[in-house]
Amino acid sequence: MQLTEPARQATRHSQRGRMIDRAISVVFLICAILLVAIILAVIFFLASQSYQVFFQGATLKGFFLGTFWDPTGAVSGGAPSYGAGGLILGSIITTLIAMILVIPFAIGTAVFFTEAAPQWLVRVMQPLIEIFTGIPSVVIGFLGLITIIPLMQKLSAPITGNIPTGGYGWATAIVVLFIMVLPTTMSISIDSLRSVPGSVREASLALGSTRWQMMSRAVIPACATGLGTAVVLGFTRAIGEALAVALVLGGSQIPNWPWTLAVFFQPNVNITQQIASNFQESAGTSQYAYWTLAFVLLVITLIFVSISRFLSSRSVYK
Amino acid sequence: MSLQEVVSPQAEEARLSALRQLTRRLAATNSIAMGVLWVITLLVAALFIYIIISLIAQGASSLISPAFYGTGDAGIAPQLFNTFYILILTELILVPLSLAAAIYLVEYAPQGPIITVIHFAAETLSGVPSLVLGMFGFLVFSVYAHLGISRLAGALTLLCLNFPLALRLFEQSLESVPADLREGALALGATRWRAIRTVVLPSALPVIITGIILTAGKIIGESAALIFTMGLFNPSNVFTLDPLIPSNTLTTYLYYLKGPGAGTSSLTSAQETAVAAGLSAVLIILLLIINLSARFIGRAIQRRVTAA
Repeated sequence: MQLTEPARQATRHSQRGRMIDRAISVVFLICAILLVAIILAVIFFLASQSYQVFFQGATLKGFFLGTFWDPTGAVSGGAPSYGAGGLILGSIITTLIAMILVIPFAIGTAVFFTEAAPQWLVRVMQPLIEIFTGIPSVVIGFLGLITIIPLMQKLSAPITGNIPTGGYGWATAIVVLFIMVLPTTMSISIDSLRSVPGSVREASLALGSTRWQMMSRAVIPACATGLGTAVVLGFTRAIGEALAVALVLGGSQIPNWPWTLAVFFQPNVNITQQIASNFQESAGTSQYAYWTLAFVLLVITLIFVSISRFLSSRSVYK
Repeated sequence: MSLQEVVSPQAEEARLSALRQLTRRLAATNSIAMGVLWVITLLVAALFIYIIISLIAQGASSLISPAFYGTGDAGIAPQLFNTFYILILTELILVPLSLAAAIYLVEYAPQGPIITVIHFAAETLSGVPSLVLGMFGFLVFSVYAHLGISRLAGALTLLCLNFPLALRLFEQSLESVPADLREGALALGATRWRAIRTVVLPSALPVIITGIILTAGKIIGESAALIFTMGLFNPSNVFTLDPLIPSNTLTTYLYYLKGPGAGTSSLTSAQETAVAAGLSAVLIILLLIINLSARFIGRAIQRRVTAA
């Protein structure tokens, strides 16, 4: 059948439209793949920088178990020393204690917020949580410097013997991390609690449960994996938190007697603080040492992300 | 039936009192637990409110002084300019890229491995600490791409940092458009792109704008990713649109004043603290404005949807 001229034109037109559609979908796919490229590049470039320090004088055992961190050799005046054990210990202790404090507050508030809080409290808390999940870390670091450190210094005076630098250190870092991580953990917990259908609550109440039984025996177990994800993501955020912690740690070495209470109240170190304050000025081998630290952080967060991914793949309600 | 007949009155009484005791115990546990939860929640709310009020109160004296907004030693005009410059520069790159990626994932991508891989990548990238991304940005953009310590290197690093968040927000905004609208357009013979352009994007626009505002908050508050890529110092003239000069922002200046620059900057120690307090207050106020405007737009959409 012979097509009329307008019909032929329409066919051409729609063919062109289909081609544009095709081209655009390819362009958009490339944008989406860019995201995959970025994360692969991050892993690749960090890995490629991180092992070099081990060919220039550092040993694996010395790096992870040594406690004297002096990659430029400026402190000892001699050979550089790459003992990052103290920094890693600092990151682990501050993150762990901060999270132990965060978990009851975050989950308690989230449960109360979703299950029992009166309307006015929800209306007050909702914007507060949203603002605090995005609060700049330097602002909390500043608050730590001018409010928490003087307080800590006074509190710790009997333990540390009132040294002038008292107040800086792990204890203040833990408080700062608590403020930084609490809102994130809380808001993810709230999201996961809200994803539990109302029928679970009603079923529990209909069986004669009290409100608390309903929360503790029905709702919390129903979204245990979601709450687990929230906690794991809190860990991820806490261990990577940099400038707020850098401002309040204020040390350059781990103190020599790390197993007393006093150690929490004097200038100390962790991984991010050392990178933030020294990476820029470093060069050559000492810079490679900071890359290795960054890679350690990256690997830790990748492990956390995998755990959270695993947990959320097992959760019933999404 | 027969069991009840043999139960003695005393046993019945004991059973009832045991039940009463159980109820009392459950009620007591319930009120204790509720009390504890009340206390925890009020403590958290009080902590948040205290922090906001104390930050603004400490910055108040700077906030009302005109010199604070000037270009002098104790003024933050350069930092304000840089912050908004870097915000706009980043959004100009971030929004098209992440919106395109979101459109691909929601509208074009077949269910299957592509979506899973991209979502996994997004989740992983959003877990990478911003300090580590800053080092990555320094290596790739500043050193390998020869951009140096510059605004552009900073903006590209912020792109890497905010891509996952923007992608998720834009995906949510596109998913909020009802499927009927899309199917209607496709049934009329529109190509997918035409349907997206003329039907999906216009109805998703308000939610997309909310998403942009939320990423803006994150960009303004970011600091760790910028200290290696954009530096901590300004050249003599910052009020240019040149993307290849180093510059500081509200957050990195605050870090500099109380961190590496404490005691070495051109300010006295008291001035440093005053300016830092002012910077904190400005940042908090900016965040409050962003949060309020995102809410306002969200409510406006809801009103429009319920009115329709």
